[in-house]
Amino acid sequence: MKLREYEAKNVLQSAGIPVPAGFLIRSADELIPHLDALGDAFVLKAQVDVGGRGKAGGILMAGKADGTKLAQELFKKQIKGLPVKEILAEQKLDIQHEYYLSITVDRSSRQPLILFTEAGGVGIEITAKEHPEAIRKVIANPLMQDIPPFMIRELIGTAPKEIGPVINKLYRVFLEKDALLAEINPLVTTPKGIFAADAKLIIDDNALGRQGFVVNRDLTDREREAEKFGFSYIELDGTIGVIGNGAGLTMSTLDLIGFYGGRAANFLDVGGGAESERVMHAVRLVGSVPSVKVIVVNLLGGITKCDEVAKGIIAAAIPQKVIVRLAGTNEAEGRAMLSAKGYEMLDTMDLVVRKAVEMAA
Amino acid sequence: MIYGDKKTGVLVQGATGKQGEFHIGLMNAYAREVGGRGVVAGVTPGKGGKEVHGVPVYNTVREAMRDHDISAAVIFVPAAAAADAIMEEAHAGIRTIVAITEHIPVNDTMKAIAYARMEGCSVIGPNCPGLLSPGEVKMGIMPAGLFLRGNVGVISRSGTLTYEVVDELTRAGIGQSTVVGIGGDPVIGQTFVDVLQQFGNDPQTKAVVLIGEVGGNLEEEGAKYTDVPIVSYIAGISAPPDKRMGHAGAIVEGGEGDARSKITRLRKLGVPVASRPSEIPEMVRDLFKGRC
Repeated sequence: MKLREYEAKNVLQSAGIPVPAGFLIRSADELIPHLDALGDAFVLKAQVDVGGRGKAGGILMAGKADGTKLAQELFKKQIKGLPVKEILAEQKLDIQHEYYLSITVDRSSRQPLILFTEAGGVGIEITAKEHPEAIRKVIANPLMQDIPPFMIRELIGTAPKEIGPVINKLYRVFLEKDALLAEINPLVTTPKGIFAADAKLIIDDNALGRQGFVVNRDLTDREREAEKFGFSYIELDGTIGVIGNGAGLTMSTLDLIGFYGGRAANFLDVGGGAESERVMHAVRLVGSVPSVKVIVVNLLGGITKCDEVAKGIIAAAIPQKVIVRLAGTNEAEGRAMLSAKGYEMLDTMDLVVRKAVEMAA
Repeated sequence: MIYGDKKTGVLVQGATGKQGEFHIGLMNAYAREVGGRGVVAGVTPGKGGKEVHGVPVYNTVREAMRDHDISAAVIFVPAAAAADAIMEEAHAGIRTIVAITEHIPVNDTMKAIAYARMEGCSVIGPNCPGLLSPGEVKMGIMPAGLFLRGNVGVISRSGTLTYEVVDELTRAGIGQSTVVGIGGDPVIGQTFVDVLQQFGNDPQTKAVVLIGEVGGNLEEEGAKYTDVPIVSYIAGISAPPDKRMGHAGAIVEGGEGDARSKITRLRKLGVPVASRPSEIPEMVRDLFKGRC
């Protein structure tokens, strides 16, 4: 889950990384008491859970005279379809140089990867493409609490030495907050010292509980409901509902729909243990999507009980057609139960998907 | 076969839990069928002295190691305790560790794997179905009924999709040497690179079916550094960017790790890529024809 900018900056500040003086406001009036502290020039930044907000008009330069009016306007805006409920009003920095610093999980080495470049700011993607050699990389050992001085020297080269402690503090944040990404872009030098002018933290979904988050804000309402049952659920824009067990098999079912010329409406992985009640909830959830015309159920596994699955499908009693491929124990019973109620059960995933694509067309 | 055989003594961590107990039963049923040693000890802290399906349970891995000849372990403990279990086994000297547990935070996995590597042991998983070498040993939760002994290795990031492919292979009369589920997390111990290297050194394995999915680039990296003939399949060609497709590691991020670019890179390396699982057996046959 991605933290909002002000949340990420609070985390950095607690870790001892300087951030610009700022105030979070939920209405334009809340800005008034802070106008003196913010000074002559400040920035209004919409706190929305979406990337590219600057280009979408979510960041405005403001001053004492027009600040409240601009905040009012920003609160009325929608940024990429999302309403603006919170604005971070932040002092403008007197920037001398912009650097880029990030820590991510490197899947190849299975260790944290630290990236630093002296060409930070909005052009970082271009730098990465055109001058990859300008981005210095170090792989850290996750068993070490600190980044050793030699690694810091390798990373920052001739850049100001004050950046060294920032790298170590960000590394601590990365480990302690279960981050998958901890990024400061830009990390800026000013006459008053070094500051994290913007910050991005993505917290591991598997660690949200121990990091004190109750809900995952990145999920849609239906995805959140699916999570309650322990399903992995993703919304897509086609007409065929997909229920499978196991992420790989469900993904493969989705791909097969594309192969036969259809479009999947969603992806639901019921996970391990397909008891009748879980299957019923899964079928109802997928059936509740208005665009779904037909549902493919593709369940395979040595320990999946087919009669339980059949019971769940029948109990769901949804108006759409459900086409089933089941392999596991008690297969004959499951098949008999389903065909008695008029459900179609086919032997392979190619067959069920082809049938569903025909019916949805 | 790789990572173990009939003579491998297996320990199960989390032996008295629902999953642990259930799968000790299945693993040992398989061991009896093939004449292997199977699970010889279980560990659950605080449950030492109990028995599960006749298998003695210990409080710590070191205690179990004192009484038994153990070289591999399978972990069923909950996510919060799983990284610790990996380190306990590595510390006690177990060389092959299979972590079935799902939802372990990535930071915990990184630390446990770094520690296990220091101790010189291989971690398979986490978030994986384990491995099965037909006629030899089953370490994990794969349904043994689908398998047939032979000389094709299978490596996959997924569970049920692996069973689908193994089922197709077996129906086509193509047997398997070892089937390894390496796990669906972004950080896993043994990657395609490591497992392909093992298959490359295994006299029984003549070809490998590589089942990949979106996220990362380790399918291509693995294929680059092996001379074992490979047939592959990549799931997730219809996966939208920035969505985790059920597996924590199945995500197209920053425009990288998408199925199309993986397929292109594999084909460039001369690896045939199936467009659906049912095409795999025919492609394996073609591979053997071309080489004989």
